[in-house]
Amino acid sequence: MTHKILSVKDVTKIINQKKIIKDISLEISQGEIYGFLGPNGAGKSTTLRMIVGLTRPTSGDITISGYSITKDYVKAMANVGCIIEEPTLYEYMSGLKNLEILGSMSNNVSKKDIIEAVELVGMTHRMNDQVKTYSMGMKQRIGLAQALIHQPKLLILDEPTNGLDPQGIYKFRQIIKSLVKDKGISVLLSSHLISEIQLMCDKVAIINKGKIIKKARVEDLLLSNRISWVLDLPKKGKTILKEQFNIESSIIENKLFANIEEHLIEAVNSVFINEGLKIKYVSTKKKTLEDLFLELTAYKAID
Amino acid sequence: MITLIRNEIYKTLLKKKIILITILLILFVGLFSYGENYIYNQRINAFLEESNQGDYSWENIANQRLERLKKNLESSYIPERGIKSIKIQIEQLEYFIDNNINPVTPSVARFNVEFVKQSVTLFLPLLIIILGADLISGEFSDKTIKVLLTRAVPRWKILMSKLIALLIMTTLIILLMALISTTVSRLFIDRLGFDEPVATGFQFVNGELSTGSVIRITSLKYTLLNYSLAWFVALVMSAITFMISTLVKSVGSAIGIIMASLIGGQFLQFFLSDWVMVKYFYVTNLDLTKYLTGSYQQVEGMSLVFSVLVLSAWAIASILISFFVFLRKDILV
Repeated sequence: MTHKILSVKDVTKIINQKKIIKDISLEISQGEIYGFLGPNGAGKSTTLRMIVGLTRPTSGDITISGYSITKDYVKAMANVGCIIEEPTLYEYMSGLKNLEILGSMSNNVSKKDIIEAVELVGMTHRMNDQVKTYSMGMKQRIGLAQALIHQPKLLILDEPTNGLDPQGIYKFRQIIKSLVKDKGISVLLSSHLISEIQLMCDKVAIINKGKIIKKARVEDLLLSNRISWVLDLPKKGKTILKEQFNIESSIIENKLFANIEEHLIEAVNSVFINEGLKIKYVSTKKKTLEDLFLELTAYKAID
Repeated sequence: MITLIRNEIYKTLLKKKIILITILLILFVGLFSYGENYIYNQRINAFLEESNQGDYSWENIANQRLERLKKNLESSYIPERGIKSIKIQIEQLEYFIDNNINPVTPSVARFNVEFVKQSVTLFLPLLIIILGADLISGEFSDKTIKVLLTRAVPRWKILMSKLIALLIMTTLIILLMALISTTVSRLFIDRLGFDEPVATGFQFVNGELSTGSVIRITSLKYTLLNYSLAWFVALVMSAITFMISTLVKSVGSAIGIIMASLIGGQFLQFFLSDWVMVKYFYVTNLDLTKYLTGSYQQVEGMSLVFSVLVLSAWAIASILISFFVFLRKDILV
């Protein structure tokens, strides 16, 4: 068994008698970038907040580097760095002073560690200015430095690119990727943008209404194309796909949807025609989050 | 832990609160001491006009005031409460004259005492609110609580460091207050008067003033005594401010709640002084310094020991509640 940096086991969270999070489990190995995908209000933030100790799980356990967050809080937290939602810093201090204050709260954070972190995020030229003069992107970078000064093994990023311009997003991704490559840290990042997950992550967990509805490798999810047919008899088409190709499909608004590889489309089409179906048109498109959700909820698939 | 406390003090200093408090103190002490000197001068003028004597020694002025009080007592328009209060003043004044204690001429020492007395119920608590209301609620409204609570430090340590920092800063404020009211009032008032005798320890026995337990101490000791009581009150206020700051998530509501309780408490004291519960409210007990002079009591059955106990109970309960709530709180900002 490989060493797990983060393990979330059957975690449930009840706030005001409402089950916000329902039995979530996930594991992250060393050097992995794990995406946490879901619409707003699905429970991404709540889950991440439990992992970093801001809220307590109602039941279940979370361990970081083998230390339980409830029983060995300090040791567990020593291995985590995080940005939860927008980066929050003391506006009335300089970026550098922020890092010094937060660094002094961990053991063994030297002045050199802080300077290195500032260099890594490319903020050396502005580190002595007050945070309130920073742009959103600069705050994000100091926020990232803040998460890195104590050399954590796990980096938790909640919607890290919210509010950044495209250039900022690009730079941010470069930094994260180089961190994983050079230092071998693991990253758990949440997002509601599938493109972001696609560009950065190795694995993804899709969460909706407080439940993980699918866990998969990102490659696997995006390999298949999403095809839609407009047919005169979509139900018959669905049966044909099932019986002759063993492909699951769904009918949404009179369109037949299925995930198949491109080279199969011609074969499917000719079978449809042979069976006497009339094809109005066929379209392929890359998956979007919306499709994925419609599809997942239609299948009621639970991985 | 020391690092954490240093961080907290550093944050407060950066917010320039100590500067604000210093300016407020200088302003108030300046106005107050100028006013006291002005009134004294007017009193001398009035005395000179009335008596046609060239001698305005304090004994003469005190005697004149005594006579005026006695005249007031004969007036039928004064309610019973007012009569009690005047009687006490007369008895004290007689004691002062008999024992050669000067209660008239302004001095820096007496100004200090007077300033503590006047500020202990409202101005001093206000300074503490400036200092502490945003201590925790500020971290919530700036959302910095998220970076503070995701370091490898247990929550109780974070809260404890904030509490200790607040108590240290509160102590600093009292020292600052003593320093400023001594130096600034010296600009307007000539006499220092720290070595003059003062009488304290007046007691009420069956509603009558008793001088049996009165002791004479130097002004310096008396001033220090007043400041230590103010210090105690300030510590209690910090504990209460600390609790409110932990319970609410915005600085505005923290300030609002504490101010409302302070002002509401003063109202309670005036309008519902017969209601037994009033004496257990913290605001009613803030004015510890009044027990030293023996002025008329609004609420019956209160003594220095009683008030100190009530205030201590409030402080301890506040701190316990703060920890209890903070350690269990879900941070959702």
